[in-house]
Amino acid sequence: MVRSAQNRLASRVSVPLLVFLVLLLVYGAVLVQSATSGFTAGSAMFRRQLLGMGIGLIPLAVAWGIDYTKLKGWLGPLVLLDALLIISPRIPGLSYTAGGATSWLAIGGIRLFQPSEPAKLVTIVIMAAVISQYKGRIEKPADVLKVVGYLVLPVGLILLQPDLGTGLVFIAIAMGMLLVGGLQGRWFAVFGVIMVLAGVLLFALPSDYGGLQEYQRNRLLVFVDNEVDPRGAGYNLAQSKIAIGSGGLTGKGLGSGTQSNLNFLPERHTDFIFAVLGEETGFAGTMLLLALYLGLFVTALEISTSSRDLFGSLIAAGVISMWVFQIMINIGMTLGIMPITGIPLPFMSFGSSFMVTNLAATGMLLSVWSRRYGT
Amino acid sequence: MSTFGEQLKPRFAAFGIIVLLVLGALSIRLWSMQVLSGDEYAALAENNRIREYTLDSQRGRILDRNGTPLITNRPSMAVAVAPSAKNDDDLLLALSTLLDMPIQEIRDRASSLREEALKPRVVAIDVPMDVVAYLAENEARFPGVEVQTIAVREYPMGTLGAHLLGYTGEISEEQLEDAELEGYLLGDIVGKTGAEREFETVLQGDRGYQRLEVDATGSPRRIIEQVDPIPGRDVILTIDAGVQEVTENALRSALDEAHADDFTAAKAGAAVAVDIKTGEIIAMASVPGYDPELFLGGISQVEWEKLTDKDSEYPLTNRAISAQYPPASTFKAITGLAGLEHGVTTEWSTFYCPGRWTEMGEQWPKWCWKHSGHHNITFHTGVEESCDTVFYEIGYEFYKQGDEKLQKFAREFGLGEKLGIDLPGEVRGRVPDAAWKADYNENYPEYIKWLPGDTVNIAIGQGDLLVTPLQVASVYAGIANGGTVMQPHILSAVLGTDGVPVLTAEAQVAHEVNVTDENLAVMNRALMAVTDTGTGEGAFRGFDVAVAGKTGTAEVSGKDDYAWFAAYAPANEPRYAVSVVIEQGGHGGSVAGPAAREILAALLGLPVEHVQATDISR
Repeated sequence: MVRSAQNRLASRVSVPLLVFLVLLLVYGAVLVQSATSGFTAGSAMFRRQLLGMGIGLIPLAVAWGIDYTKLKGWLGPLVLLDALLIISPRIPGLSYTAGGATSWLAIGGIRLFQPSEPAKLVTIVIMAAVISQYKGRIEKPADVLKVVGYLVLPVGLILLQPDLGTGLVFIAIAMGMLLVGGLQGRWFAVFGVIMVLAGVLLFALPSDYGGLQEYQRNRLLVFVDNEVDPRGAGYNLAQSKIAIGSGGLTGKGLGSGTQSNLNFLPERHTDFIFAVLGEETGFAGTMLLLALYLGLFVTALEISTSSRDLFGSLIAAGVISMWVFQIMINIGMTLGIMPITGIPLPFMSFGSSFMVTNLAATGMLLSVWSRRYGT
Repeated sequence: MSTFGEQLKPRFAAFGIIVLLVLGALSIRLWSMQVLSGDEYAALAENNRIREYTLDSQRGRILDRNGTPLITNRPSMAVAVAPSAKNDDDLLLALSTLLDMPIQEIRDRASSLREEALKPRVVAIDVPMDVVAYLAENEARFPGVEVQTIAVREYPMGTLGAHLLGYTGEISEEQLEDAELEGYLLGDIVGKTGAEREFETVLQGDRGYQRLEVDATGSPRRIIEQVDPIPGRDVILTIDAGVQEVTENALRSALDEAHADDFTAAKAGAAVAVDIKTGEIIAMASVPGYDPELFLGGISQVEWEKLTDKDSEYPLTNRAISAQYPPASTFKAITGLAGLEHGVTTEWSTFYCPGRWTEMGEQWPKWCWKHSGHHNITFHTGVEESCDTVFYEIGYEFYKQGDEKLQKFAREFGLGEKLGIDLPGEVRGRVPDAAWKADYNENYPEYIKWLPGDTVNIAIGQGDLLVTPLQVASVYAGIANGGTVMQPHILSAVLGTDGVPVLTAEAQVAHEVNVTDENLAVMNRALMAVTDTGTGEGAFRGFDVAVAGKTGTAEVSGKDDYAWFAAYAPANEPRYAVSVVIEQGGHGGSVAGPAAREILAALLGLPVEHVQATDISR
């Protein structure tokens, strides 16, 4: 029957999720177009971003089509894939260094993508598989150690690149999943203490012994004291705040931001694209974006709670954690309330590996949603 | 919801709350920054992108009465240093070697206060081309250093008229508070002295400005607004450059003359030439002089000390208006006219000069300069020969009559107060009276009382009487002009941009003296006799035009005598008055007189020749 076919389709597709996704993609495309318009290669960059969106539809569809429940049994190969992805830029002939970190995969000197991006999704599936084994109750130290063990491998490899920001994303993903997955409250306290100690250690140790690099130190310090490193991180932060604040209620108009078009704003199409939004569309525009994000999260949370199994629930929770953490760090950084890290803004920042990853993550949500009554 | 879902409900709730908290915190921060502080950030953004540059206006020229340029402008290659470079010792050392300037001086200039905090400060002007080329080739080694073409003052006549023209320099904090200079900014180049200072607001013009939009590297993208500067106006002075030159040379010759007479301490002097009918100053000179070029781009500390050291004779002082001296016998013209007006004497009244005059009592004897005495002498001859006794008698009579009539008469000429010439730095001089003496000696009760000798001293131009050379020239101009003293001034006209005067100075009466034409005629005959057969005879021997003049030899405690000569000419139909004073120059007749002759010759278009005179009278 037509009616039941419609119902079946409606049951397989989360319409709100797709609506919010499309709105975000359109908003992001408009923003990238504005942010790159001042560059000589601006239109080529814009086309590349659109291409990234187009390519990203393939993994979206694939992830949607895959029966996620089957992935549970692929834990070993997934761990191997995760490690390979993260190590791949280190393999001679495949690496490409940009911005101080060897995080790109390249063949014949042509940059392909940042393997740490899909690795995030693989890690989400791994963690979901591991955590779901405990059926919503993780208490024993041995269990906790096992879960942490699966996390330490990718995070450790990421930190070796070194890419502290991405490493933190992995940790945040795991924390969100552990929250939903039933880790006992006191373990969060233990993790908290360990994180603080690790932070202190990173700060205290010289960079040769695994401590932070000078630029990383400055990025963190400038968050505490805006006067630090006035020509580097401090300048970026100051210009970002000026851009956003000067947008006022309704902004200067798309393409009319003086901070961005006159190059005061650094990395305006990537890490600081939110500052362009703030400057050109004002409070109205930034609230619209946060509202779209909120809609996305509410829908995703609905997917998470509606999953037929804990595994699917945890996958959705991992995706949400990834997005929320990246948004918090990225927007917070542009507002001067988070340290400066190279974490981009989902669906907004220029960069196709990132875009493809987020579309694939959306596909994973759709996969969980469409199989909530069984396959 | 599945069973596991029910079990984990609190977990999902906590997860949802965290998501809401994150978005809520970001929203609050955005509200605070964009809505509450939006205007402040907007101002910062504007400040980022907009640079305002001032466009300096070309300073007006100063011309003499015939249109001859006295001060103009010329371009100069200047080296400017950004304030940020002031702590770069290596850079300063390299610049010091290159510019041949002390490091400290470069540092001081680079850190001088400016309205535009980041604008490079000019540290050296007239930089040689090889240095400019070196700086251009080694730009990277001199960060914050730039070569600019700036306009500076040019002095086509060299040091001529330096005192009355004045020099320019950076505005002082004192000047910044001057109401007349409202709108001036730190770092502005303004007139500091002389005509440059007096006519500053006319010469300066209005600065323009340019508002540019710049990008993050500071490169201009477009001009938002531009207001062109309005050049300053040209000013025409009453000065005649030719007469001025003769006047300055005459003063220098007078100094040589004094040295030849063994008055070796003579180093300074002043002279003024004025048109008696209009008050126009035709020449005004002061020696020693200075070179205004030294002030271009800021005078060096060493040079400044040379010009202001207490052993320097103060070459920056315009002695014609800023120095005051006892007028000595040049004052006898006033005492004489006062005596005639008040019936104390007539042209042919006779006096007896014993050489040593003791009318005030044997304990207070006064000497005539001619110790052997003039014996029987008329008033007319008393002026001609500058007999002190004649004027002691007149002064003593004024004392006895009371009411300070002599001082009051002197004040009618404008003595004891500023004449109000349009130049900065004029001093008042002093006409002493009982009230002044009581006030002056407040703490010395035994000196408070006004004594006969005080009036007697004034009568011969001594005592506590003080005048400026300008005042003496004005007094003689007043006598020549029938008792009307015209307002002395140096401004003739201000030119508009099209060269047509927008303002022309009018002749104004400054003082009217109550004196009859008959008495002026008496004085005129006596002053003519001075240059004909009297104390000025040597200086004016063979002069083609009749001159009414008076010598003066002022006694200054602890110094050699100061030589004076005051005159007007032609005596029958007067046009110009002059005064000359040579500090420690000796005798008026032999040192100041010949200088006055040269100045009058130049004024009247006669050949200028230096004569030797040997009069050693007063």
